[in-house]
Order: sequence, then C-alpha cells, then structure tokens
Amino acid sequence: MTYYILRRLIQTVGLLFLLSMILFALVNLSPGGPLAGQGQSRHVQPEKVELLKRQFGLDQPLPVQYAIWLIGNDWMKVDVDGDGVKESNGTRQGILRGDFGFSFRTRKPVLEEIGERLPNTIYLMSITMLTAILLAIPIGILSAVRQYSKFDITVTTFSFAGQAIPEFWLGLILILVFYAWLKNPFTGEALMPSGGITTLGLQGFNLGDRIWHLALPVLTGALGWISWYSRFMRSSMLEVIHKDYLRTARAKGLPRWMVLYKHGLSNALIPLITLLALDLPYIFSGAIFVEYLFAWPGMGRLYYQAAEQRDYPVLMTVLIIGATVIIFSNLLADILYAYLDPRVRYE
Amino acid sequence: MSATKRIFIFLAVAVILTSSLAACQQNTQPAGSDPATNNSITIVIPEDPPSFNPVITDTGYDSLVMELTMLGLTDIDQNGNVFTEIAAELPTTENGGVVQDETTGAMTVTWKMREDVQWSDGVPVTADDVIFTYNAILDPNQGSWIPGIDYIDSIEKIDDHTFIIKYSSVYPGYLTQFGGEQVVIWPAHYCDASQGFSAWDCARQPLSNGPFKLEEWVNGDHMTFVKNENYFETGKPAIDSVIVQIVPDQAVRKTMLINGDADLDMWSTEQMIDELKDVPNVEVSMSPDNRWVMRIFFNLAAKGTTNPIATPHPILSNVKVRQAIRMAIDVDTIAKEFFYGYAKPAWTEFFRPPYVCENVARPSFDLEGAKALLEEAGWTDQDGDGVRECHDCRTAEEGYPMEMEFITYSDYGEPLELTQQFVAEKLGGIGIKLNITVVEGSVLWAASTDGGIEQSGNFDMDIWDDGYAGIDPTDYLQSYYSTDAATPDNGYNYGRWSNEEFDSLLEEAYTLDETARLETFCKMATVLDEQVPEALLFTASNADAHSSRLQGVQSSTNDIVTWNAANWTLK
Repeated sequence: MTYYILRRLIQTVGLLFLLSMILFALVNLSPGGPLAGQGQSRHVQPEKVELLKRQFGLDQPLPVQYAIWLIGNDWMKVDVDGDGVKESNGTRQGILRGDFGFSFRTRKPVLEEIGERLPNTIYLMSITMLTAILLAIPIGILSAVRQYSKFDITVTTFSFAGQAIPEFWLGLILILVFYAWLKNPFTGEALMPSGGITTLGLQGFNLGDRIWHLALPVLTGALGWISWYSRFMRSSMLEVIHKDYLRTARAKGLPRWMVLYKHGLSNALIPLITLLALDLPYIFSGAIFVEYLFAWPGMGRLYYQAAEQRDYPVLMTVLIIGATVIIFSNLLADILYAYLDPRVRYE
Repeated sequence: MSATKRIFIFLAVAVILTSSLAACQQNTQPAGSDPATNNSITIVIPEDPPSFNPVITDTGYDSLVMELTMLGLTDIDQNGNVFTEIAAELPTTENGGVVQDETTGAMTVTWKMREDVQWSDGVPVTADDVIFTYNAILDPNQGSWIPGIDYIDSIEKIDDHTFIIKYSSVYPGYLTQFGGEQVVIWPAHYCDASQGFSAWDCARQPLSNGPFKLEEWVNGDHMTFVKNENYFETGKPAIDSVIVQIVPDQAVRKTMLINGDADLDMWSTEQMIDELKDVPNVEVSMSPDNRWVMRIFFNLAAKGTTNPIATPHPILSNVKVRQAIRMAIDVDTIAKEFFYGYAKPAWTEFFRPPYVCENVARPSFDLEGAKALLEEAGWTDQDGDGVRECHDCRTAEEGYPMEMEFITYSDYGEPLELTQQFVAEKLGGIGIKLNITVVEGSVLWAASTDGGIEQSGNFDMDIWDDGYAGIDPTDYLQSYYSTDAATPDNGYNYGRWSNEEFDSLLEEAYTLDETARLETFCKMATVLDEQVPEALLFTASNADAHSSRLQGVQSSTNDIVTWNAANWTLK
C-alpha cells in the first residue's frame, strides 16, 4: 500500500506539471485579454498598454511567461523601466517557491486574495455537503428498505425534481419567498436574510445568526446533492439487501435492523464513500451560483470574476488548486476504498 | 473495527472539523460602528472595488469609494460645471492663473490650494502631496498614465499651498487633470513611493482627506466608512457611517432597496427605473445627460484588414451607404421598446454642456430615403432574393451581396442585444443583410496582439456605447477620429477613417479661447455628420436608485454617484 501511494504521488507531480502547462496555454490563448478596457473604460489607453504589459510580464513570449510563472525571474535581468535595457533582477520567485504572483485587478498577492476567500468557501461547502450526506443516507436507506412504498415513490419523484432544478433558479425563488415575500410576524422584517455570512454590525460569534444566514444557501446547494446521493444510496442498498448472505443472516435468526445495519449498510456505504471523496474538490472550488446569489465571498465568485476580467494569475492559481485537489481526491478515494473494503488490495 | 464503525468515525470526524471551522471562521462584522443606527446608510454594489485608485482599473467601484474618501484639486457637477475641492480657486486666463507664452505656445498654470484641508491624521494637504502624486504617476516602472500628462514639463512648488504646472503646449483639459472621477491627490507622508503608484498599499488602506474614512474592508463582503472628523467643510458630512455591501445579483440588490435594507444601488437599468417608479420608499436620481452614446462603428477597411486605402470595405467605404444605414434606424422605437422610454436621441458628439452644437440637425428616420441612397450608391436587388447586390457600385465586384456581420458586446445586457436584433431586422427589410454576433467586451476591445476584434479590423459593423468623460472632448476626439489613431493599437479609430479637414480642426481645438473652441467643435460636428464614420443613435439613462430617506443624491454623467456624498442627509 505504501509503495502504491508513493508511486501515485510521483505520478501526481508529473501530471500536475503537464496540467499546469496546458492550463497556462489555455488561459493565455483564450480570446480577449487583461489589456481590454472594463467597467467605466472601454479601452486601456495606448500609452498605458505598454506600461501594463511590462508590469504584468505580458511583454515576454508565452513560454518565457510560463517559465517565470513557474520558477520566477529573480535570477535574471529584466527591463523594469521600458528603456530596452535589462538593468536589474526581477522580483518574481515562481510558484515552485510559493510565489503565485499578484492579481492584475487588485495588484494584491494572489495567495492573499485566495486566503481571504477559501475559508468562506470551505465553511459553506462543507456544511452543504454534510447536510446533504446526513439527509441523503437515511432517505436512501428507507427508500430501499421500503421499496415501492408511498415514501419511496414520493422521494423518487422529489429526487428527480431536485436533480433537475438549476441552482440559480432555486436560489432566486428562495430569496423571493423568504426575503421578499414572507415577513417575521413579530418584527415585520424579512423572514430570512438575502445573503452574506452574518448580519452586519453583529458583535461576536452568534451561532443562531450563522445558521440563519446558512439556511438558504445550504438548502440551494444541497438539494441537488441530496437527490443524487439518496438515489445512489438507494440503489446501492437495494443491491446489497438482495444478496444471499443477508438472507442467510435473517435465516439464522438475526433481527432485521441488525442485518440491515451490520451486514447491509456497511457494504452499501462503501461505494458512496468513494463517491464522496471524488466530490471533495467542490469544498474548495465553491459553487458559483450559490455564492453569487447569496453574496457569499467565496472561491466561486473569485474564479468567476477572474475569468471574466482575464485576471490570469488568480485564474491560474484557482485552476491549479482545483487540479491538485481533484488529483488528491482521486487518490484519497482509492485509499479509502481499500481501507473500508478489506478485500481490495493495491499491489 | 467493522466497516460500518469506520464509516461513522469518518463522518464524525467530518462533522467535528466542519463545526470547528465554523467557529474559527473569520469574523466578518464591522468593528466599532453599528450600521443599524439611523444615521448610517448602506450602498450595495456587485463587486469589490479593486482599490481606491481608479487610474489603475477604472471599474467605477473604485471611483465610488474614492469619492467617499479622497479629494482632487477640482471636480465636475452634473451640469458640467467645474468646482474646487483642494484648490482654493479655479485658475483661468482672466484671473492670471493661466499664462500662455505666445512665442513657444507653452502654458503655465498656477494653482492655489485651500489651507484648511487636512488628512484624517491631522497633517495638512500641501503642494508636496501634489508633486508626490505627479512623480508617482510618472514612474516608468510602477507608475501609470493620466490624460494630458505628456503635456506637462514640470510641476514646481512655490510655497506649501501654491504650485505651478508647466505645460509644453496648450492643454485645454488642465482644470480637471488632477481631479474629476479618477485622479486624486495622495499623501506623501503616508504612501510608500517604493511600492509604486499602481500597487501601493495606501490605495487599499487610504488616508482620507474626504468626507469619510475607511474603517474596515472585508473582501467580497463589505466595507465600512465612518465620518472623517478632520474634513474641511464644517458640519459635513451629516451621515455618520456608510456601509458598502457587496451583493452581486441585481435582482437581490433591487429587493434590498425595496425592503429598506439598502439605501443606494448605482447604475440602475431602464427596466429597474421602470419597476421602481411606483415603489413608495425608493426614488431614482437621473443625470441631466449621459455621456455614453450608443453608436454604430463602420469599418471602412475590408473585414480583417486595417488600411482603408489599400483594402477599402466593399460596402461601407461609400459614405452614401453609411448615411443610408443611419437613416434606416428608428431610434424612437428603440428608445420606447427596449429602453422603457428613458433613452434620448443623440446624433452628435457635441450634445452636452459646455459644448452644445445646434448646427447639426437630427437625421431623419426615412426608409424610402435610405433605399434611394442605396440605389444611388449602386446597390440594388436584381435577383429578387431580398438582399441587394452591387450593380455598378464601384466599391465591390459586380453582384457582390450586401451582407455583413453586425457585432455587439454581451456585458451590456438585454436592451442592447434587442436593439441589435431590431436594427438587423429593419435593415434586412431594405435589403441589407446583417448577421448578428454577440461577444464579450474583453474580446471586442482587446489589443490586436490579443486578437481584439476591433483593433484587428475583424468586423463590418459594431454597435456599442461610448463618449468622452468629463467636460473636455479633445483627447477623446483625438483617440476616435484622428488619422493618428487610425492604426491598430494606436487609438480607437477602429473604422480607420481619415479626414484632413477634421485633423486640422482638431489641432485648432487646442486653444484656451472657449468661443473659438465651441466654433471649432461645431465645424467638426458638421464634418462628422456628413462623413458618418460612426452613426450616433441615442443615450440610455444615467440613473441611480436610492431610498427616499436618503436626500441629496444627484446622479451625474461626469462623476460617480458619491461625488457629492458630503452633502447627503437622512430624513
């Protein structure tokens, strides 16, 4: 197992290197660029363009830009004032030494930007996923155990609807109903907040306020997952409960709940855990629509903004983090599978 | 350990981790102030300002927070009048503040500053700050560029509150060069010059000399501003604190305004103005004019090329065709149907104070006239397929179809896309077939080296909005219509239109004689009207929605809505 993990880790390094090259090329070669005007300006003045190219390092050929992004330019002379003479060493250290550059938009270090957003996304997405899991597993089990019952049919119907409803629509409807229409009968204010992490001006940590702000975004984000996981759990459980060894256990006189819990559930959960591990990247990448609608300052919004405004350094960092998490989640899924199912061995 | 137990341990660990994360998660409340008090307002905007320095990014949101906190020498009101901020008076030729050397053409401007303007730390704002700002912008490594900076030879300090700017030649925009909605004076004792104008920390944690000072900025969530006790206007601002809350979705921002949770939502669309007009606790402030004129850009060079002499456009190089297209666009219907009646017709660049030219009449909407012009130009439909062809048109081969690509940008939204479809449909009705394309603004306007559609000349006709900022159109006219700007990445004369008469008029416009300037601009208006390098159509609204309790809000096309925030009151 250790040898297997080591081998996978070494493969990961090579894969990430290759991915970084492809992503860098795709991001830089996509139509448009950071030197087009935005917001109030339709253009960047020609006088500014040369200056910005130099400040952003866009005056170099693409392979050189990639090399500088990777290993920095503090070891080579660069032309900092645009007079054509390379007079002093650059200041970039490259991502291999932890320097992800600065945002074209804010001129702040990219890691600082991501550091401000990542905890918010992990906070929202982990609670969303956890809510989805905690609801989906019992729903899936009950559906399987009471196959074709009214409960099963109802859950099945809602599951399909849940998977079909787009997040941006559901979010808007929830805001409309719980923020615009329904009022708190005691205070006359909106029943739920329209967005944000906490109420502005509230001092200290207030668990109730946090939950109040989480409710709508979590519901919007979790509905699809609840539907998807509960369907998965249902079919996984159904597959297991019709196995011979369960019938044998029942024949031996074990109570039904013990058969289901000890022999059924433990086997039915294994594929779900693998699936969960594969979905882990969402915790880091965030959900663009949920963050956008509920004014949640997370990674999804940062990524969307960076893509829209061609903020290459931010875009590259978010993509590389995403790629790394996906690769490691796959590895984790494989390891967990072996850990949970003793029959699986990697050699 | 059984597999079930292992799974539950895994889930339990996940629950514990998540709960602890919630507890450790950064506290995002503003410290010190309570926005719930009645003397506080909330402004909702869709994204964080990149910084407080609009010279670097110009998203509009940077101007919004800049106007709350920082001052320039001067600013412009909604009617185009320049007023002083840090400056004690406006230097003019009449008061001796502006002197022109008749032999060299050089211009010297003497600025006197108010002596009672202080930074929020109590340090006075002086001429050293102005010189510091100028040098920082000029820095070839980390500096930037502002209009007219190339005309400046030097800035010299006379005393703490007087300095002179020496220009190599006349620069008519001198009054607002260090003011307006973009340029402010930065504190020499606070900003770290070594970090550079484009990236210094003081653009994100600014020292204020305006009505408010930044107290807290939680990225992506909100910013809190409190009253600057050292603000020079006694008794102002009347509002204690301003919360700028980041709410990306427009529908949510509008609902917050209606629910009373927001006091101001800038840049209201026409649809929103219409929806809010009957809401009792909301008002919409409209600017008297809007500088953004919706217009059609004609490429005079063949698509994919940038030289109209070597490779003229087979259809649009004939001025009669351009005139016909302008004549066939029903601006009034567009204004009524897609802009809820809030768009106003505009047909010349010189339609708002201080330069209003009435010598150019509004082009008539006349389909029959347009057809006649096209026929005169040699474009008729002889094969009966509904699309005209060249028959002795002299700009294209015989039989060449009158079919072109018509592009707009997606960022503007539905009204522009509907306008584009409407124009294409109506022009199709008179035999001009337009194939519509919608692209992102960053693709349309990118540099030619980045594949920018317009700079590369990869278009026939485009429709989008632009117009000069502030009150001096000369830099804008230079960039859009001069022969100098008719080459890729050298300006925005995308149609590559070149006209000697216009170029010489442009030179004449660089004068301090306001009467002569207006006369020159009106001559330019005639040339542009006859030659139609662009077909100007209308201006949409420039409006900002605010709560009824917030008084004094005045939308202005010359500045962002917070330009007069010091005067706002709450009822």
